[in-house]
Amino acid sequence: MKTIKIGLVGLGYMGKIHLRNSLRSKSIANVAACDVTAKGRKYAKSIGAKEVYTDYKEMLKDPDISGVVVSLPTYLHAECTELAAEAGKNVLLEKPLARSIAEGEKIVQTCRKNGVKLMLGYHFRFSPQFMQLKQSLDKGVFGEAQIAHATMVGPGPFFHRAEGYAPRPVPSWWFNKELTGGGALIDLGSHMIDLVQWYFGRIEEINAYVGHRFNLDFEDYALCVCKTKSGTVATVTVGWFSREASAKFEIFGSSKILSAKRVDSNKAVSLAKMILGLTPDFNLPYVWELQHFVDCIQNDKTPLSAGEDGLADLQAISLAYENATPIEESI
Amino acid sequence: MSLVSLVKISGQKFEEAIVKSLKLIEYKLPKDARNIVIKPNLCYYLDWSTGHTTDPNFVGSLSIVLRQSISEDVTINVVESDASAMKCKYAFKMLGYEKMAQKFGVNLVNLSEDEFERTKTTVNGADLVFKTPSTIRNADLLINVSKMKYSRPSVKMTCALKNIFGCDPYPLKYRYHSMLSDVIVGLNKTMKFDLNIIDGNFVYGEGTRKIGLVMASQDIVALDSACAKIMGVSKGRVKYLRLAEKEGVGTSKFEARGVTIDHFASMYPRQGYLKTIKDQVFYYLAKFGLTSKLGID
Repeated sequence: MKTIKIGLVGLGYMGKIHLRNSLRSKSIANVAACDVTAKGRKYAKSIGAKEVYTDYKEMLKDPDISGVVVSLPTYLHAECTELAAEAGKNVLLEKPLARSIAEGEKIVQTCRKNGVKLMLGYHFRFSPQFMQLKQSLDKGVFGEAQIAHATMVGPGPFFHRAEGYAPRPVPSWWFNKELTGGGALIDLGSHMIDLVQWYFGRIEEINAYVGHRFNLDFEDYALCVCKTKSGTVATVTVGWFSREASAKFEIFGSSKILSAKRVDSNKAVSLAKMILGLTPDFNLPYVWELQHFVDCIQNDKTPLSAGEDGLADLQAISLAYENATPIEESI
Repeated sequence: MSLVSLVKISGQKFEEAIVKSLKLIEYKLPKDARNIVIKPNLCYYLDWSTGHTTDPNFVGSLSIVLRQSISEDVTINVVESDASAMKCKYAFKMLGYEKMAQKFGVNLVNLSEDEFERTKTTVNGADLVFKTPSTIRNADLLINVSKMKYSRPSVKMTCALKNIFGCDPYPLKYRYHSMLSDVIVGLNKTMKFDLNIIDGNFVYGEGTRKIGLVMASQDIVALDSACAKIMGVSKGRVKYLRLAEKEGVGTSKFEARGVTIDHFASMYPRQGYLKTIKDQVFYYLAKFGLTSKLGID
């Protein structure tokens, strides 16, 4: 199989994960990376990126690059993805697709018009535990899946960031609703809503309660109840308020009750695996996600988490925001 | 020998516990104070219920005690400064201080935006120069309301002395980390607080616990020494505590009044050896930039 060249745009938290995985992939021959910060570019060089760019528009001119991984802040998704599509590059775009339905539709249409693949970075679809649930549903082992609970809670963007020894501030765009499109519901909710729609079909009705524990103008936790096309009623609970992180999906059927949860990575075990040259468990879904993107390019396949899926998720999230009831908070 | 009080909070009655803790150390709030500064411990955007930051309701309750004991007309400024990874404009809002300020009629001051005067001090024979903010310089009563928690391996614990680090308006505080103990002591010599209180309702050790403790002392070194005992930290291993005593900031000899230290020591979530070793390993990996290289930061 012919190896391909990948370009990465944005070397923040997710960008660095994709960069490390790209460099270790046997299907990727060459990696170019782009970041507006000198620190990001220096990091990319230090771990083996052959070419680094400051301006992604320059990188997109490289005819050898067939796939671009976009890990930029949400407000930059549209411009970058559209330019990449117009340059004929296939795109793996971090979630959420965009800040609004209109912006999302334009991204999907531009990719379609230019005949390139658009894949959303929904790594849970590549996690064996969550894939197992999908297989069980497809086999009908649940009987009728009546109720489902999807939960994803963690520190969100407000976790303590550090670059080596030095603490790093939360990037300011995270505090601006105009730039993010919302809070925990669009950020974490896009993962859980995506699983709900992947498992049970389109969400037809959705209501939400949204909370503002941190007194910002966007929600930091949300509880949604939605009815899907298949008749399953699902709750989606997301939050940015906890120091611990958890992601879990439970399905309650007439014949079977099963659940999947994200594998928690023990730092010491991860470190040992890294030193031994192995991939730590928490990183595997990202490795497989990237591998799938490369496979789609090499073999002209439709991505498992396509742009249209991201758009459907954005539509459900927008409806949840429209129907949301705010929760009163005390000090 | 300095007095340190330990009081158990019953329910959420902070005012009652604060008044009792001051009584036990025989401290009388100065009747002529008009301009009061309260320095809580805000750390990153970590909620008070994690045990990392001072509960805004605790600060609000303290403001009630101050107004009842001194005068309704006192000006109360709640101060904090920007840090390497924390901006006051977000922390005040996110941690409930804006709501608290409105409810209790206190002002919020970002010391990094305040006017300042350069003040020279000597620590360990070396000269150190700090920016002293006007709000602190002009106050006639300085109250330190800190937390009780474990900290990075180089300093071991964060209690009253370390909280004054947040009075330095210089935002890129991580640059001080190689000489943190000297800086902590220098700042405590420059900005001497009249009263030190610990909001130990929720504490952070190996995880969070609600132990419902309020401590108070006029001697910041004595207070930290008592905290170290509760936390199971040998005070001899806390460099800045040793240095503060040597530099005359206070004394580590104290008389505990109220509930016993052993009572709260048995409730404190002390760190096990395994966690200590793990923290040390990660500290050195981070220090030499290896966590980032390995992708485990």
